[in-house]
Amino acid sequence: MSVGSQPLATNSIAADETVVITHEDVDRAHDRVRVSEARARRGFFPGARLLWLLVGPGVLVMLGENDGPSMLAYAATGAKFGVGFFLPFVVLTFVMAIVVQEMTVRLGAATHRGHAELIFDRFGPFWGWFSMIDLALGNFLTLITEFIAIRAGLGFFGVPPWMAILIALVILYAALMSHRYWTWERITLAAALFNLVFIPVALMTHPHWHAVRHAFITWQPMPGFNKDTLLIVLADIGATVTPWMLFFQQSATVDKGLTTKDIRFGRIDTVLGAALATAAALATILATAPLFAHQMGADNFQAAEFAQALQPIIGRFGASLFALGMVEAGIVASITISTSSAYAFGEVTHKPHSLNLPMGQGKAFYSVLTLCAAAAAAIVLIPGLPLVYVVLLVNVVAVLAMPPALVFLFMLVNDREIMGDLVSPPWANVLSSGVVFILTSAGVLFGISIIAPNIFALLGGK
Amino acid sequence: MAREETQNLEADRNLVLSSLEHDQLVRAKKHHIPRRILKGPELAILWTLRIYLIFMMAVVVYQVWTAAH
Repeated sequence: MSVGSQPLATNSIAADETVVITHEDVDRAHDRVRVSEARARRGFFPGARLLWLLVGPGVLVMLGENDGPSMLAYAATGAKFGVGFFLPFVVLTFVMAIVVQEMTVRLGAATHRGHAELIFDRFGPFWGWFSMIDLALGNFLTLITEFIAIRAGLGFFGVPPWMAILIALVILYAALMSHRYWTWERITLAAALFNLVFIPVALMTHPHWHAVRHAFITWQPMPGFNKDTLLIVLADIGATVTPWMLFFQQSATVDKGLTTKDIRFGRIDTVLGAALATAAALATILATAPLFAHQMGADNFQAAEFAQALQPIIGRFGASLFALGMVEAGIVASITISTSSAYAFGEVTHKPHSLNLPMGQGKAFYSVLTLCAAAAAAIVLIPGLPLVYVVLLVNVVAVLAMPPALVFLFMLVNDREIMGDLVSPPWANVLSSGVVFILTSAGVLFGISIIAPNIFALLGGK
Repeated sequence: MAREETQNLEADRNLVLSSLEHDQLVRAKKHHIPRRILKGPELAILWTLRIYLIFMMAVVVYQVWTAAH
């Protein structure tokens, strides 16, 4: 952290102060040594190794946001509107996500502090606690929807709900068992890459490539402007940028130990993640586009129902891949979202918060992480759960959290006292403030559409 | 044995101090960053946020109440 090139006095360690080294520091130092060694060498392979060492938070956050509800939103988009306007539109939403997430990389690398911690310290306890509680509540409700997706996806294979939930929790716990950020990150990345399973599924439907090319060039055919279209537009925007992403990527950047020298790779990581997530999202739209061609109503389809509807078109194997993709989306999101809650809790309460912590030193961190996931999983097993109501609450809480999170992000990244020379340049501020305005407006409109659907009925549609 | 542990500790300490920036040390993170002094436009933004939150919370309470009935 710096003021220009001068370190902030409050955060430096005085020469006569005893430096206490923790287990977390040692693990992070080992990771940094490998980065330094790779950086010291020239050539393609050391460069590729450096990229391999530094990618992670960006790919995880982008593929993590391709979660159960998001993939359902993309599937619904393809089934309701087919190939057309929404293909380039989804690409645009990921471009907006890059603009927002890049700011979290810079903040994390420059300050070595998480998003919740910075809000708490710079804007006071009210906003700090509000951010943490709002995030925790939103994350908890979102976790419920992830386990619903996992249950529905594995239900396609006849797996009973309790076993589906147990499998998900075992995977989440297995990733944590190493008590090492690096190992956790690689395990979760491997799981997240399975999100790309939607690409072969899309290819199995034999997409009309001429129509795809036409859609990207002309943004046509445009859907009619009515309530249904507006809701899908807002849902697709909501599927791309959500509050937990800001908190997660900044905290993961800090936990990984990235510094200002690594910002370029942090940006590459974010763009790479967005590219992979865009490919998976577009593939999902293309995969369900045949349902639009067959005029199959998919308004209230869940994960397994989409797979069943696609089975006559892509066969049992393709439908199974689709269902597995939904399961993966839920599992990876449950890992990353519960981790973001644990990070935020530790940052606001100033308790140790790192995936490098041994269990004994990180009891609070690991307890929050596992309890959030376990409680959300248990709720999904309650018979007669009002799922629609849970989804509604998720959206409302997300609407509540998004504007403050974005405004604080914008203010922090322009805070010269903590960012020094890494504050956003004017052109970047114009771009990011435009994106912040669009995302905030979309979130508010989405909230209104859920709370008062009759207002949007004036536009037409159902 | 004790000498070996001491050497390991010293090696870890050297590794950490040579590889991490001071701000990255867990010890350094225990220090709070000073609170930001907010000026006119920033205060206005935060008050707008507060009003927005009160409005949205009322909407959430109304929504929960409606659903419960």
